[in-house]
Amino acid sequence: MIKKSNNKKTILVIEDERSLLKAIKLKLEKSNFQVITSRSVERAFTTPIKNVTISNVRVALEHLEELERVDAIWLDHDLLGDEDGLDFVTKFKANGGKWSKVPIFVVSNTASSDLVKTYAKLGVNKYYVKAEYRLENIIKDITLSLGNKDK
Amino acid sequence: MDKKGKITYVNQAFEKMVGWKSKEVLGRYVVEVVPRESEKGETVLFNERILTKVLSGKVVIADLINPFYYIRKDKSRFPASSIVNPILLDGKIIGVVETFRDITKEKEIDKAKTEFVSLASHQLRTPLSTISWYTEMLLAGDAGKLSAEQTKYLDEVYRGNQRMISLVNALLSVSRMDLGTFILEPEPTNVAKLVENVVIEQMPQIDRKKLNFSSRIEKNIPLIQADPKLLSMVVQNLLSNSVKYTGEGGKIEISLSLDLKKRVLLFKISDNGYGIPKNQQAKIFTKLFRADNVRGKDTEGTGLGLYIVKAIIDNSGGKVWFESKEDKGTTFYVTLPFNLLLKKNN
Repeated sequence: MIKKSNNKKTILVIEDERSLLKAIKLKLEKSNFQVITSRSVERAFTTPIKNVTISNVRVALEHLEELERVDAIWLDHDLLGDEDGLDFVTKFKANGGKWSKVPIFVVSNTASSDLVKTYAKLGVNKYYVKAEYRLENIIKDITLSLGNKDK
Repeated sequence: MDKKGKITYVNQAFEKMVGWKSKEVLGRYVVEVVPRESEKGETVLFNERILTKVLSGKVVIADLINPFYYIRKDKSRFPASSIVNPILLDGKIIGVVETFRDITKEKEIDKAKTEFVSLASHQLRTPLSTISWYTEMLLAGDAGKLSAEQTKYLDEVYRGNQRMISLVNALLSVSRMDLGTFILEPEPTNVAKLVENVVIEQMPQIDRKKLNFSSRIEKNIPLIQADPKLLSMVVQNLLSNSVKYTGEGGKIEISLSLDLKKRVLLFKISDNGYGIPKNQQAKIFTKLFRADNVRGKDTEGTGLGLYIVKAIIDNSGGKVWFESKEDKGTTFYVTLPFNLLLKKNN
């Protein structure tokens, strides 16, 4: 992994709901994360890095390749555009890009067990149902599983 | 029908609805002419037919959660609603009159309504998450320190929102059950552990009300084929009801045991709480029904918990029932069959 002088972990957040995205970003930054946001899968792969928000799959994917550091991906299931979180994970893993081993955490509104299982099969690390978790607890949990010791 | 259940008269609506002519069916057993089956297509046995029960003098309360179907002459079927009344002569049952109708349309409307509820509840979740997360951040002081009074008000907002989230979740579960998209996913499950986990989750509420809680969980309960998520929901609902509807300092006891003779796992939970008024006990598993005595005391219940419990247990091949006395307490019993599973695990 790339060493950086800054030992903050970098997390890419892909979430289409602006108000939630803002909350997530604020809270993650408070918890010592470097945050890159995205509202679509499309943009996560294309747009240049600086402080862009991504909410569709393609952008998210292209965006990713240009990043210097990604330690985790926070992914919503419903996104802007035709593609959803499943498309993102499928393409992301298939691409075999430099970040394809980065852990993915799905944070979604949908609690359908089919969806949870499909994500698990695709190799997603954990699935959280939004309304059932405190934001703080999701972040704690992610931090824990990343072995984030700096605080 | 006469007292043996043989048809003595049918009207024109009958002929139209099931396709049999009057002269073809007179004198024949109605249960043979118009077979009845469950939603899944299982034939309802002769002894289980309401008609048979009414003829033997029993009072039957139909189970409206599980609809049934009547089969026409051409073997097609339709969902039906029926009422069976005994004909009495000098106090003796000499026959019955069955009135039934085709409820296809009602069911379609009901389905459309359920789909709407499901969709609407789902849409409600995003704004609810927004409220929940921002309130959480305010309370955590992320936007600056709050005064004691502000904290108090926000606490109310937060709790009200949590209640709305659980109501929306319950509505979603109910609509999935009603639509039949709530599929059981059984797997070998450690029910003892599952019950313990639910208890741990609710310990804070139990402690807050200073309830005297005890549990007896039999050792060596084998893995049971069950859907752990749904079964947890059953235990959660029953336990949280007991906690909610028992006064401060009251008593709650739970037990989990095997009945090897009946090949069932028995979960029992009793409290010495408010109880269910006798005249409302028949309705207690009905959707959105809440007994009068608790409506006055607590505003948090949704009236959906026991409906969900019953739907899950019925679909799992188990049984749920209760004994209750107002102001004395309530005991709920749940059984789950385990014959199917032992094969797999031993």
